[in-house]
Amino acid sequence: MVAETQRKDIRKILIANRGEIAVRVIRACRDLGIRTVAVYSDADRTALHVRYADEAVYIGPPPPRESYLLGDRIIDVARQTGADAIHPGYGFLSEREWFAGSVTEAGLIFIGPPASAIATMGDKQTARETVKKAGVPVVPGTDPDLTDDELYAAAASFGFPVMVKAAAGGGGKGMRAVHNADDLPEALNLARREAESAFGDGRVYIEKLIVGARHIEFQVLADTHGNTIHLGERECSIQRRHQKLLEEAPSPFMDPDLRRRMGDMAVAAAKAVGYVNAGTIECLVDKDKNFYFLEMNTRLQVEHPVTELVTGVDLVKEQIRIARGRRMGLTESVLEPKGWAMECRINAEDPYNNFLPSVGMISTMIAPSGPGVRVDSGVYAGYAITPYYDSMIAKLICWGDDRGEAMLRMRRALEEFTIMGVKHNVPFHQNLLNSFSFIAGKFDNKFVEERFSMTTFEENPSEEELESAAIAAALVAHRNRQLAGQVVIRNERDTSNWKWVSRWERMNK
Amino acid sequence: MGEPLGADEQMKYVTFINDKKFEIDIDQDGSVKVNGKPRSVDFLHLNASLYSMLMDNASYEVLVEERDGGVEVQMHGRLYAGKVMDERAVLLAETRGELGEASGDIIIKSPMPGLIVLVKGAVGDVISKGQTIVILESMKMQNELKAPRDGTISAIHVNPGQSVEKNKPLLTIV
Repeated sequence: MVAETQRKDIRKILIANRGEIAVRVIRACRDLGIRTVAVYSDADRTALHVRYADEAVYIGPPPPRESYLLGDRIIDVARQTGADAIHPGYGFLSEREWFAGSVTEAGLIFIGPPASAIATMGDKQTARETVKKAGVPVVPGTDPDLTDDELYAAAASFGFPVMVKAAAGGGGKGMRAVHNADDLPEALNLARREAESAFGDGRVYIEKLIVGARHIEFQVLADTHGNTIHLGERECSIQRRHQKLLEEAPSPFMDPDLRRRMGDMAVAAAKAVGYVNAGTIECLVDKDKNFYFLEMNTRLQVEHPVTELVTGVDLVKEQIRIARGRRMGLTESVLEPKGWAMECRINAEDPYNNFLPSVGMISTMIAPSGPGVRVDSGVYAGYAITPYYDSMIAKLICWGDDRGEAMLRMRRALEEFTIMGVKHNVPFHQNLLNSFSFIAGKFDNKFVEERFSMTTFEENPSEEELESAAIAAALVAHRNRQLAGQVVIRNERDTSNWKWVSRWERMNK
Repeated sequence: MGEPLGADEQMKYVTFINDKKFEIDIDQDGSVKVNGKPRSVDFLHLNASLYSMLMDNASYEVLVEERDGGVEVQMHGRLYAGKVMDERAVLLAETRGELGEASGDIIIKSPMPGLIVLVKGAVGDVISKGQTIVILESMKMQNELKAPRDGTISAIHVNPGQSVEKNKPLLTIV
């Protein structure tokens, strides 16, 4: 393997993605002096990734199937613009083995794992079988392609609750927890429909649901020189409908022994598929610290920054370095993270109304800053959130010397974060950071759905605050009225302003 | 530049913030009274919708934006919703009964553009608060719209498979 490794030159990278992750990748390229090519749909002409890239090429209408999922078209654009490599980001084409394969066949570098590793890990069933052989524990589950009757029988044999999952899945789409047999038929229908619309593949399977479990994942990195390491864990149990909302590194549940055992498992799972580049091993960990392999995400994760802040590794730069055929910077696993990092996903969703997505123009956006604060975002004031893509506005990431400091910084940064024009979930994060269970680190992956309420820890605004807001509102109304009033007065020259201007011009002839 | 009309008079505003009512008088010289009590306010426009307010040395960075006939105020990491009315507007609203309780019919509107996947129920069905009545697909998610209160479905304005714009009436509950 080492013998056939050769250094490859990368001078220009095409980013086959949009939004904050495209901006994130462009930033790493700029750090490295690599030129960048963005691609965009009709909905994204004014998006930040287009503004920020060296070159930007139009690829089609807003629906992803007609633009960001058109792999062949994107490869053509890479050829035309003279790009040496393609970075897929997360979502869209990042976990399509045919795309990774086509990129390589086109003589370009795919910044990610080999197509074979994507194929093995992308098919959940093959992935489970493969890692099981490497001694990695997995959750009991079925094949996809079973008939409904076979699925009902399997669910009954595992015992409820069970989880319905999309075979092509990821990101919580096409996933449903089912607590009794009566709800199974409808859950299967909804999951298939969601999977079909999100991935173009409606196949689903069933897994036993581990109750009271935490979602903990390990970041792995592997280069073409035979090094495979992990960079420690991320705690991702704060989720709602399988959408992660807040992630942190390390996990408050972790201890050195568990980290060593899970880390070894993660490295073994990656090696089992000949993995190269950055990837993530997702696990469930039960109350007794038994862990089960869930799946491997063969790409960069949304929540990668928390790992970056506690390890000092720039994961995107590392991905590019590995794709260039070089040895990666670290060759030993990280067993002791430095400090604590936390990420809040700021979404255009109304936490007071069942987290309903909100679309529209962001009229004002003031991002927090200062020590220990990082904001990764693809939007700005004046940008419109459209219904075509996900609802993420920004990722707010805070670092502290310990979990307490990270939480206090996050609270401060959330208070500074001002977004107006669309409903967003900043108040959710503020309430979460006030909740005793969260502060104590006592939560599992059902915490938000089953034991968290927006009102428990929400303090009502004081009389003084309400009055201050009222005064500000009245003064602005008064000001606008006066500005309007002055326009009226000008017109009182008994004729229109335009006429007045033209008379004045004639007088001066 | 002339003086605005009525500038020699005090302007009276009724302001609701989070449903709490404040009577705010603003004088020609800019001095402010809240429910009859004078308040010392230094209020400066910074840019767009951003203002700096100093009140008894307390410093507030405030964003104020008018939206859909109301006003949104963002201050110290919190969003307030309200309405500012001058005396004439208060009188008009009172005659129309707009300041009282919402009347019987509730029209459920689409909160965003999307595709109607399912309407759960038929005209005449009795529904309870929190019950899922419509599934709307948007932003790659199936979103469940729930009944805001108990009632009866009196009309259904859409069909499954139909694409809807934001604010499109979906169904009416009485």
